Amino acid sequence: MSEVGILTESERVTASGAPPVVVETRGLKKTYSGKVDVPVLHGIDIQIRAEEFVAVIGQSGSGKTTLLNLLGALDVPTGGTVLINGIDISTLDEDELARLRSDQVGFIFQFHYLLDEFTCLENSLMPITIRHGDVTEEERERIMSLLARVGLGDRMDNRPDEMSGGENQRCAIVRALACSPKIILADEPTGNLDSRSGEEVFELMREMNRESGVAFVMITHDDRLAQAADRILLIEDGLIHEISKEEHRERMAGIARERAVLRSGVI
Amino acid sequence: MNTLSNALIPRRLRFESQLAFRHLLSGGGQTLLTVSAVAAGVIIVIFITSLIFGLQERLTELLTDAIPHITITVEEPAPAPLKEVPGASEGASSSLIEQQAPQLKFIDNWQQVVETVYTLPNVRAVAPVVSGQAFVSKGANPVGVALVGANPALQDIITPVTKNLIAGKYIDLASDEIVIDAELAKDLNVATGERIRLTSSTGATDSFTIAGIYSRGQGRGNAYVTLRTGQSLFGYGTSVNAIYVKLIDIYNADSVADRIMALLPYEARSWTREFPQFLASLQVQTASAYLISTFSLVASGFAIAAVLIVSVLQKSKQIGILKSMGVRRRQILRVFIFEGLGVALVGSGLGAIIGMTIVFLLSLFKQPVTQVGQTPDPLFPVRILPFYIALAILAAIISTVIAAVLPARRAAKMNPVDVMR
Repeated sequence: MSEVGILTESERVTASGAPPVVVETRGLKKTYSGKVDVPVLHGIDIQIRAEEFVAVIGQSGSGKTTLLNLLGALDVPTGGTVLINGIDISTLDEDELARLRSDQVGFIFQFHYLLDEFTCLENSLMPITIRHGDVTEEERERIMSLLARVGLGDRMDNRPDEMSGGENQRCAIVRALACSPKIILADEPTGNLDSRSGEEVFELMREMNRESGVAFVMITHDDRLAQAADRILLIEDGLIHEISKEEHRERMAGIARERAVLRSGVI
Repeated sequence: MNTLSNALIPRRLRFESQLAFRHLLSGGGQTLLTVSAVAAGVIIVIFITSLIFGLQERLTELLTDAIPHITITVEEPAPAPLKEVPGASEGASSSLIEQQAPQLKFIDNWQQVVETVYTLPNVRAVAPVVSGQAFVSKGANPVGVALVGANPALQDIITPVTKNLIAGKYIDLASDEIVIDAELAKDLNVATGERIRLTSSTGATDSFTIAGIYSRGQGRGNAYVTLRTGQSLFGYGTSVNAIYVKLIDIYNADSVADRIMALLPYEARSWTREFPQFLASLQVQTASAYLISTFSLVASGFAIAAVLIVSVLQKSKQIGILKSMGVRRRQILRVFIFEGLGVALVGSGLGAIIGMTIVFLLSLFKQPVTQVGQTPDPLFPVRILPFYIALAILAAIISTVIAAVLPARRAAKMNPVDVMR
C-alpha cells in the first residue's frame, strides 16, 4: 500500500505525455458539523487524469460518497482544496459552481434520478436544456445516436416508469455525458441492478471512457468491477490509499479465507 | 404548441417554463386543487363586486333619477353678529341672533343663468322652475301638494314624468292642465279629464283639467303645471325661484356645483351634499366589498402556498439532481414561481368565466311585476364590471405568485447533498 502523493507543478510539467489532470485534491478534509461534529475525511490527496477509470472502494460510511460530492463541487470542503480542471472550487460562488458542474462534471447515482415528467430523450438532453434553454438539432442528433449506442434507440419516447432499471441507468449515463464533461462521478451505478444489467451498465461506462477519454470515478462494492478499473482507491479511516490490483485480490482472498474460517468455526 | 411557446418564452427561460409546465401537468389532483382555489377566489371577488356595486348603481340610479343633480337657488342670507358688521358702533354686541323670515326668492336673470350653466362640461339639462306649496280640492276636502311649474320637456329630463305615466300625457301640457300622481288621484277620487281646484300658498286660485296621472311607486309626488302657470300662481312674474340641473356624470356633481357658485351669485347644492348619509352608506358597502375580496384572495393564497410547499418537498430529490446537473438557485426559484403563475393564469381565467356566468344567470331573475305594462326589475341588480373583473384577475395573479415565492425560495435553498442522501 502506498499513499498517493501530490504532484508539484514541475512534476506535472515533466509528466508531459501523460494525460492532463482533471480533478485534484490537496489535504482535503470534511467534517459534518451538527450536535456532534463528525469528521469523515482527514486529509486526502488524489489526482484523477483524463482517460482514467478509477474505482473507489471502502466500507459503508467510510466517506466514499462524501469524497465524490466534493470532487463534483456539490459540497464544499472544511479543509484543503479541490481543483477541477485547475480551478479551485473554494474561489467560486454558487452560480459559478453550478456552471462548473454543468461544464465539467457528470453525475451518475445508484438510483437513476431521471425526471418522471420527461421522456428518455428529454432526460438525456436535460443538462443542455438547463444550460441553453433549448437544444440545437446537432445536439439532439448527437444525444440520439448516443442513446442508440447504449441500446435505447427504440425507448427514446418512453418515460422512466415505462423502462427497466438497467435501461434507466443507461439513459442516466447518456445524460451524464450530454455536456461532454471532463469527468463523470458514479456513485454505485450498478448497486441497484441485477448482476447482468449491472455488468452491461459497467461495460457501457468503460466503453464511453475509452472512446471519449472522459475520466470516470466509480464508487463500487463489486470487487469484480473494481478489478476491471484502471486504478483502485481504498478509503479507510478517513484516509485514501491507492492499492494495486494484486493487493486488492489479496485482500479479497484474505476476506474470503476469514469468512471460511468463521463459517467453519460456527459450524 | 412547441413553436407557440418558443415564440412566447425567451430562450433562457425555456428550461424553467418547460419544467414548471410538466410539473403542473403531472401534478394532477394537486394542480386541480390549486387552480380551483384561485378560481374560487376570483369567483367570490367577481360575485361580490358585481352584486354590491350593481346594487349601489341601482340605488343611486333610483335616487338620482327622480331628483335634480344640482339645485340652484337664491342664497339665504345668514344673520351676522353685530360685532362682525362693519360700521356698527364700537362695543355693540348681539345677545340674540335671529334667522331672517323666509323671503320669496327670485332669480330674475334666469335666462342668463341657464346659458352660463350650459357652458359647463358634463351638463345634460338645465330647467328653470317655480316650485311651491298648494292645496288641491275636488269638492270640499283640500289636500296639500308640492307644485312644480316647469317646461314639460325639460322637466322630463330632470325628474321623469312621462315614462311613469299611468294615464294621459305630460308633454304639450296646456296652461290650464295639471299632472298629478296616482296617490293624490286616489285621495281626490279623480281621473284624467276631470277638473280640480288649486289654491297656491300665495292665495291664487284656479281650476285645472287633469291631463295625466303618474306613479313612481315612491309615495306622494309633486303635481306638475307649465312654467308660465306656475309663475302666475305664485306671483313670480317672469322670474323663477329655482333652476334644476341634470348631469351626465352624477359623481361629478360637487365640482360642477362649485363651478356654478364661483361663476354666479347663487347657491348651488349638489345631490351628494343633500344626501350625505346615502353616500356614507355606499362607502361602507364599498369597503366591505373590498374587505371580503381581500379575505377570499388571502385565503386562496394560503391554500396555494400549502399545496406548493408539499409539492416542493415531494420534488426535493429532483431539485437535488437538477442542482448536480448545474441548475442555479434562481432557476429553481423561477420554476416554482412559474408554477404559481401558471396556476394563477388558468385559475383566474377559469374563475372569471365561471364568475361572469354566475352573475349573468343571476341577472336573468326578475322581480314579480306589480303593475300591468311595467317592465320587471331584476331580482339581483348585478352588473358585470370589466374593471373589477380585470382587478380580480390581477389581484389573484399577484396573490398566487406571492404565495409561490415562499415554497420557491425553500426549493432554491435546498442543498443537493442533503436531499439525495
